[in-house]
Amino acid sequence: MKTYQKLPFLALSAAVISMSSCSSEDPVPENDGEVITDVTLVFTELDESGATVGSPFSFSASDSEGIEVGTSPEVDDVTLEAGKTYQMEIEVGNSIAGEDITEEILEESDEHQFFFLGSAFVGTTAPLSYSYDDEGGINLGVKGIVVVEASPALNTGNLRIVLRHDLNKDFEGADNPSFENFVNAGGETDLDITFPLILN
Amino acid sequence: MAQNCNLSIRGKVIHLENNESIPGAYIWIEEIKNGAVTDLDGNFQVKNLCPGTYTIRIQYLGHEDINDTINIQNNSFNKTYRMKEGSLDLSGVEVHGHKDAVQTTTAITALYGEDLLEARGESLGESLKRVAGVTTFSTGNSIAKPVIHGMHSNRIMILNNGVRLEGQQWGAEHAPEIDPFLADEITVIKGAETVRFGPEAMGGVILVNPGALPTKKESTTDLYLVGATNGRMGNISVKHQGGSGKIQGLGYRIQGSAKRAGNIQSPEYYQRNTGLSELNFSGTLGYTGKNLGTELYYSYFNTELGILSDAHTGNLTDLEAIIANGRPFVEGDFTYDIINPKQKVSHQLLKFKSHYHINSNWKANLQYGFQSNHRQEFDKRRGDLNEQASLDLELFTNTLDLFVDHTHENNFSGTWGVNLIQQANSNVPGTGVTPLIPNYDMLNAGIYGMEKLSKGPLEVEAGARFDYRTVSTARYIGNDLQQSDLTYKNFTAFLGAYYQISNSFTISSNLGSAWRPPNVNELFSQGLHHGAAAVEIGDENLLSEKSLKWVNSLEFSDQKASFELTGYLNRIQNYIYLNPTGDTYVSLRGTFNVYEYLQANAFFYGVDFSGSYEFNKKFSGYLKGSIIRARNTEDDTYFPFIPSDRMDWGLAYKVGEDGKSHKFTLSNMLVAKQTRVPDFDLAPAPPAYALFNFSYLKAMPVGENKLNLGLQVQNLLNTNYKEYMNRFRYFTDDIGRNITIKINYQF
Repeated sequence: MKTYQKLPFLALSAAVISMSSCSSEDPVPENDGEVITDVTLVFTELDESGATVGSPFSFSASDSEGIEVGTSPEVDDVTLEAGKTYQMEIEVGNSIAGEDITEEILEESDEHQFFFLGSAFVGTTAPLSYSYDDEGGINLGVKGIVVVEASPALNTGNLRIVLRHDLNKDFEGADNPSFENFVNAGGETDLDITFPLILN
Repeated sequence: MAQNCNLSIRGKVIHLENNESIPGAYIWIEEIKNGAVTDLDGNFQVKNLCPGTYTIRIQYLGHEDINDTINIQNNSFNKTYRMKEGSLDLSGVEVHGHKDAVQTTTAITALYGEDLLEARGESLGESLKRVAGVTTFSTGNSIAKPVIHGMHSNRIMILNNGVRLEGQQWGAEHAPEIDPFLADEITVIKGAETVRFGPEAMGGVILVNPGALPTKKESTTDLYLVGATNGRMGNISVKHQGGSGKIQGLGYRIQGSAKRAGNIQSPEYYQRNTGLSELNFSGTLGYTGKNLGTELYYSYFNTELGILSDAHTGNLTDLEAIIANGRPFVEGDFTYDIINPKQKVSHQLLKFKSHYHINSNWKANLQYGFQSNHRQEFDKRRGDLNEQASLDLELFTNTLDLFVDHTHENNFSGTWGVNLIQQANSNVPGTGVTPLIPNYDMLNAGIYGMEKLSKGPLEVEAGARFDYRTVSTARYIGNDLQQSDLTYKNFTAFLGAYYQISNSFTISSNLGSAWRPPNVNELFSQGLHHGAAAVEIGDENLLSEKSLKWVNSLEFSDQKASFELTGYLNRIQNYIYLNPTGDTYVSLRGTFNVYEYLQANAFFYGVDFSGSYEFNKKFSGYLKGSIIRARNTEDDTYFPFIPSDRMDWGLAYKVGEDGKSHKFTLSNMLVAKQTRVPDFDLAPAPPAYALFNFSYLKAMPVGENKLNLGLQVQNLLNTNYKEYMNRFRYFTDDIGRNITIKINYQF
């Protein structure tokens, strides 16, 4: 009986000891690995045979803060010439964690797909048309062909690029790079950028 | 003057040590050689007495007799008798296990017996919907947080076997980390109970209580098997308890449960990634002696649950597209597999409790609890990051309670004590995401006292408490270390009364103040909330919420009918809420709504009602419902996620005697559209709905053992509906028809 009666006091001492020994860890800075801070469109002119002409030129959108509340992204104007055909490659990166996200997108090409929308690609007056030209003939959009009308109805427009993740790529209509109802194929948006388009 | 021999006396018999009522105590009046036996609530009545002096003797097995001499001249006699447990030294006397009852004058409702049996297999939140005035704030079908009188999360408190549950309760998608199979009884206190239980118990308290441990040689086992068609859910629970034959007063209990469910089905489609798996365990070892009682308790809760794939949206355009569609774009199919987004949560609780009877009136108590909560949330990410949690929090909590109870045969009983809560929260590094909330250390010290005066049919209770809290936080935003030290202090008090108007009528009233310091997420949130496509911003300068709640309750019960009406007013200063700023934030990912935490004065009021009536031996009916009104009194607007008016009623048909019966119940749940909504919501409140449910319960003896069989059909007509209080109403219809089979064997 006597030992039982000591128990509360033992427990109390144990409690006091454990209470004083339990405190939070020191915080550690995290590199935001998921964030996309830079998207670059690299254009190279193609001739009629499909061979590259001249040197590549690029336009980019960047948001150094990533997703946190802060400044809005800086987006370049995309300037292209009427009547020309370009190869367009998209480079996606995370400058915070120093990661090449294009590589990850290529690795998970079955889960990702770019769509090309806005007045630049959609509608009867659209001056641009896009076709996928990725390695292995898949519909991904890391690499593709952009054709500019010879006499476009519009010489400015919105070039909207959407990257979908975890979509059903076999969904009816999803093979169209300018599929407006891309949400119906499921998944979520990883990127949604609108570049101003200027045609010379 | 002719002698009036139609007088009667009334009274109540309760345990001296915990104020729990004693049913079946024997009342004997020597002079008339007649007596009475107390009912389930410990009440008794002796009729046909003439004025005069009488000798009353009260007897109950294992307790010391009470002898009282009374003089009656009219019908006003009503007295509470407290019985003391008999001493161990007397041979043949039983020692009773401890199951501390809550002493409160506030409205209180308990879920036990048949009602709890019907709720088996459901989460804690879902189970509690059976109590009038309790609804859920849910995120899909697997995450349900109880809402009492419009309050949830950190505004209510859940006690796991007497220890305040300390998990990451701040999040809307953080369900309480507790296995309802632990409980023999789940009690809801609907009043402000900060004085008794500490800060945050503003809206109410939920007590998840196991039964008393056996104190003599006996052993019982309870087995539950539950299967449900929707989600193809399987659930098993075993509880075994026994007492030692060698050491009288020594008892143990072990209990475990496992649950597995796959994608649940709305009437027209499967909801993708809505499965869950749960594994829980608890064990108790206790000793109850003449003067000393000790208990060691451990519980482990572990769950992994999928979050509806379609609820994880990339940006505002995505969110708006699915809201406009009203249901997922993708037709799901059935699977038990759980993929990202998902949650993995484990919670461990260790409790040591001891009480010592200093003398027959005073009892000293010590309770120490240690809790460890580990929450991991996985998002849909790219590559290897999928294996890494994007939210990974470890929370340790120590709670220490030291208090004395006293009960006196004359009129007073009370509790005085101190309470310490110490908490440490750490983000586990390596998530690749700036933490939503910082690491923090919190210390809360409280001192309190409360006294109750019982005078026959009247009980008056008052108490006060003072709390002091410090919080220190630290987090890196990028490479910038941000630290804060905050202190909060507050005084709270309550006054309550309970009056037994007649044998069948009681009335109670309780006015209590309560407080809640702002939570760390409200102070420091900064980041993207995927499900809501929102950036949420905390405010370090938020003040404590302070509330004053007045709860009144009227209860009636006789052999045929029972009725309970609870009305309340709750005025809250500095009510914290998440407000859309109207701004959007643009990133490469797209556009997001920006929300900020604001404070305003609020006024909540409402009524809950429940009643039942037995038309005859076979037919009975019940009705229950609740109405809540909540306003932002500063801006004259409404708050989001306040439950709409609702009512549940049903008819039951029962044949057979107790212990061998069939019971059929057909019920109908009516839920109104919430018309009192804030100016901004992502989608309008869904329309009103009606659901039909069916239940069949069969109780039968198997030798000396007991077998209960149950069949329930929820959403009998497979109705398409959306519940305003479900955050996933933006993305999907609610759950379709669900047929559940339950087997409970007690041996």
